[in-house]
Amino acid sequence: MFRTEPLVKIQLLMLASEAPDAALELARFGVFNPGKMGGQFDIETQAKVELFPDSPARRYREIWLEAEKRLDKLLMQCGDLQPLQIAADAAAPTIADLEALNGWLKEVLVACLACHEGEERIQEERKHLDALEETLAKLEGLNVDLAELLRQDSLLSVHIGSVQASAVKRMTEALSMNDTLMSPFDRVGDWVFAVIAGPRLDQAEVQGVLAQAGWRELPVPAELRTLPQQARVWLAQERQRLGEVSGAECKVMQVLRDEFRPHLHDARVRLALARPLAEAAQVGVHGRGGLAALAGWVPSRQVAELQALLAARFHGRCWLEVRQPDAREATQVPSLVHYPGWLKPFVPLVKSYGVPRYGEFDPALPFALLYLLLFGAMFGDIGHGAVILLLSIFLLKKIGRLAWVGAAAGAVSMLFGVLYGSIFGYEDVLEPVWLSPMHHPEHVLTVAVALGVGFIILTLLASARNKWVSGQTAAALFDATGFAGLLFYLGAVGGLAVEAGLVVEGDLLHADVIGVDLWILSILGMVMVAAYKGFEAQGGLGERILVTLIEVLETAINLFSNTLSFMRVAAFSLNHVALALAVFALAAGLSAAAHGITVVLGNAVIIVLEGGIVAIQALRLMYFEGFSRFFNGDGRLFAPLHLGLATEGGYGKDAGKDAGKDPGKDSGKGS
Amino acid sequence: MSAYLDTRVSLFANQLWQPTDFDALLTTSEVEMQHILQMHGLPQLASYASLDSRSLEQRSIAKVLDETRVLLRPLTDSARDFLLYWTGRFEINNVKTLLRAKMIGESPAELLSKLTPMGYFGRLDNEALAHAEDVMELLRRLEAGPFADIVRPARRAFEQNQDPFNLDASLDRAYYEGLAQRGKNLEPIAGAGFKTLMGYLIDRVNLVWLLRYRFNYKLPPAQVYYLLATSHYSLTSARLRELARLESLEDVLAALPKPWRARFEATSHRETASETTSETTRKTTNEYSAGCADEASSIPGVFAIMERVTSQYARSVLSSRAPAISRAFAYLVLRERDLRAVRTVLRGRHLGLPSDDIWLALKRTSHAVM
Repeated sequence: MFRTEPLVKIQLLMLASEAPDAALELARFGVFNPGKMGGQFDIETQAKVELFPDSPARRYREIWLEAEKRLDKLLMQCGDLQPLQIAADAAAPTIADLEALNGWLKEVLVACLACHEGEERIQEERKHLDALEETLAKLEGLNVDLAELLRQDSLLSVHIGSVQASAVKRMTEALSMNDTLMSPFDRVGDWVFAVIAGPRLDQAEVQGVLAQAGWRELPVPAELRTLPQQARVWLAQERQRLGEVSGAECKVMQVLRDEFRPHLHDARVRLALARPLAEAAQVGVHGRGGLAALAGWVPSRQVAELQALLAARFHGRCWLEVRQPDAREATQVPSLVHYPGWLKPFVPLVKSYGVPRYGEFDPALPFALLYLLLFGAMFGDIGHGAVILLLSIFLLKKIGRLAWVGAAAGAVSMLFGVLYGSIFGYEDVLEPVWLSPMHHPEHVLTVAVALGVGFIILTLLASARNKWVSGQTAAALFDATGFAGLLFYLGAVGGLAVEAGLVVEGDLLHADVIGVDLWILSILGMVMVAAYKGFEAQGGLGERILVTLIEVLETAINLFSNTLSFMRVAAFSLNHVALALAVFALAAGLSAAAHGITVVLGNAVIIVLEGGIVAIQALRLMYFEGFSRFFNGDGRLFAPLHLGLATEGGYGKDAGKDAGKDPGKDSGKGS
Repeated sequence: MSAYLDTRVSLFANQLWQPTDFDALLTTSEVEMQHILQMHGLPQLASYASLDSRSLEQRSIAKVLDETRVLLRPLTDSARDFLLYWTGRFEINNVKTLLRAKMIGESPAELLSKLTPMGYFGRLDNEALAHAEDVMELLRRLEAGPFADIVRPARRAFEQNQDPFNLDASLDRAYYEGLAQRGKNLEPIAGAGFKTLMGYLIDRVNLVWLLRYRFNYKLPPAQVYYLLATSHYSLTSARLRELARLESLEDVLAALPKPWRARFEATSHRETASETTSETTRKTTNEYSAGCADEASSIPGVFAIMERVTSQYARSVLSSRAPAISRAFAYLVLRERDLRAVRTVLRGRHLGLPSDDIWLALKRTSHAVM
């Protein structure tokens, strides 16, 4: 829980024809994260990469992607929502199988799209008929003998139709170049209905412009030319015709759906079985001739299990090499962390800052505890905490796991309410079990600063540990965020505490055990930091001295300002009391009903406004005063190969027990 | 914010190329070339030998987009809208690539490698579009996206006449109409310099299209006119209608407004300039001058001349006290021009072409020394 799981890099060499099945087995294994072969820290394997210049899975992935996209579109059409049932011994499709499946999906999709396109056109025709019906009156009111106008043998060529409004001006100008007139007579929505008339001689040029503009000729039926009153009958007939065509299209679509629906589930299964190799190919599957190789990361405690699995499946037709990750490639190794269920709701809050680097101290547990502690300390009230708790549970379905964070915060808030003796802002109803911020503000301030000191010490320890583990020994010992910084901080804080009369020196340190004055300890720490910074700085002597002085000053200011930042914990706990007092002051002197309403509304405002602020402030303290000191957060998620089934986990899509498991099957694999 | 943008533009302007820089790029060693590219903010092009022309182009565009993103930071409202739309040209090119690929049945994987990565400015889901089954599905998806206004007329034109030319021409026209409109909205803030620069740009686009559609594709005048972008600059709609009716390139050039006519005529008589040009440049410049008289007799030549005029004006805007957005736009115009020329030089060197040939190619991309 406090650190990422130790991983090893594996390299699997196999027959190219068995690569899909090998990838499938790795996906079923559940904790294999594909990675690049070789790398700058693995010279031996990097040399081998050059021996495998081919990319045997590239085409496999391309076909799989195409097939997946087509399947997605088909599923949108007819939604096969039944859960995937994948047999334990199902084999991954070969590239020939995939191509055949892709071809079938293409045929079906093209047929569906043709129906769909037809349906789109019918909808457009319907909209056009609607618009036409509206203009019919205007058409009748043109007071023109349409029959005469639309004669085919006249010298004048006349078109009646519609075009998008945005094209009208341009069309008018273009047509004027051919002595052709365009005269709009109606507009419905985005469509403009117009009459175009010009010499019949230049019709080829006019047609070019009309085509370019997307002109829709209005099919003026014979009835309309001689008997306009019949136009509405014609429109009704057109609607009926479109309805029949649409009905026919729908039937064709339904037949298609009935025909391919039974095969869709099979297609889904086969593509799920092909997914592992397709995803591994994205990272890199190398090959030469009949051999293929891929690499990746697995938990070191599961290597033996993987070896046994591969031996059972391939009977010696594959070769597995294992190596430990180099300390220098920590940023490239994925991070796999397992969390208990109760801690998982807090993980997104940590992840929003970053993913822990491989080997780094994972802050999720201390984050959860400290965040709740800070929230409770700043928002201690039994009533307000209860409201937050109940509200979070009520909103569980809407906001998911985050609701548990709210519920926990509410519970801790209630606990601190008991400690403070505060319920819905009333400070005099209950006796505080510990102390009341209103009555003992100086104590609260002292406790807040002490909390800050403890917090900073923890972060310095975590930082030193992270540096040590990643091989930065000198930084772990002598840097401002390492042991030397801790020494300085402890000495300075202890010295200040003694100066302030909070602690008697002999109480803090037994002189016979360590025998140094606290301030000397602090100076020693600072000297170590200065020496380290001076050594690390580049440039001439003067520049180094200047940089060292600035770094030392910054270290001191940083540590103490971060410590004093925790005074806000006290400030907000006092603020909570002050807001309640303000509400009661407003409510005083009002009638009983008004008093009640004011108190209720006032409490609601406190819960929403101050609750929100406190939640953010607690997060800020964790991120800025905490994480920024030791947490790089530049790790990579552990993303194992999977079959596309729903899973849960810590860092990584499928980290954890359920990764890659077939539904209803207990394979015993995964951690 | 204007001061910030002005400062940023001035800093970026130091990266622009001078004729002597191209001299050096043509003749220097590989090691020194990397230093020159670094100095002009182009270290990513240093490995040009291993890059094909498409990758080279994509890296150049990525550079322009990065710099545009920086210049975009302090902008709001119409200025921001304009610059965002200006970068949309590259995405419209992606749309054209997608459409062409669908027409010839190219595989999605090949198609995706041809698209220019748009990064921060990308508004299209290229992955989903590349997997469209056919042109009509692609057009419908595009019409449901951010470029609906540009794609809709193109789809309608394509439905009438399944001609890929109609698609390309409609997309281009719709795009530049939008650009001209946004430029017009910005003029009150950006000033006269911006308006003139936009005018050169739109006039160049309209004139070159007119010449190509009329004399290469042999389209009738009305259709040619329809395919041009609406303009309120020196080549107005009325003027374009007159030009479209003419029967030859020479007649069209002769009927241009006086300022443009004068520029085309002046090109033929231009003498070498600048004492700072090198011997190579002088030699090529003499050849260039001799060839100038012929330049205006071809459509690429007209394009080159008009682009040169635009670039010269952009330089003057950049070095003036024009509003910051105007200078920023001028910088971007010049930067793209420089990058095109750099690509020409790098490709020429990679192919082992003689310097003179590369200079001639530069001339055709209008980045001559004058």
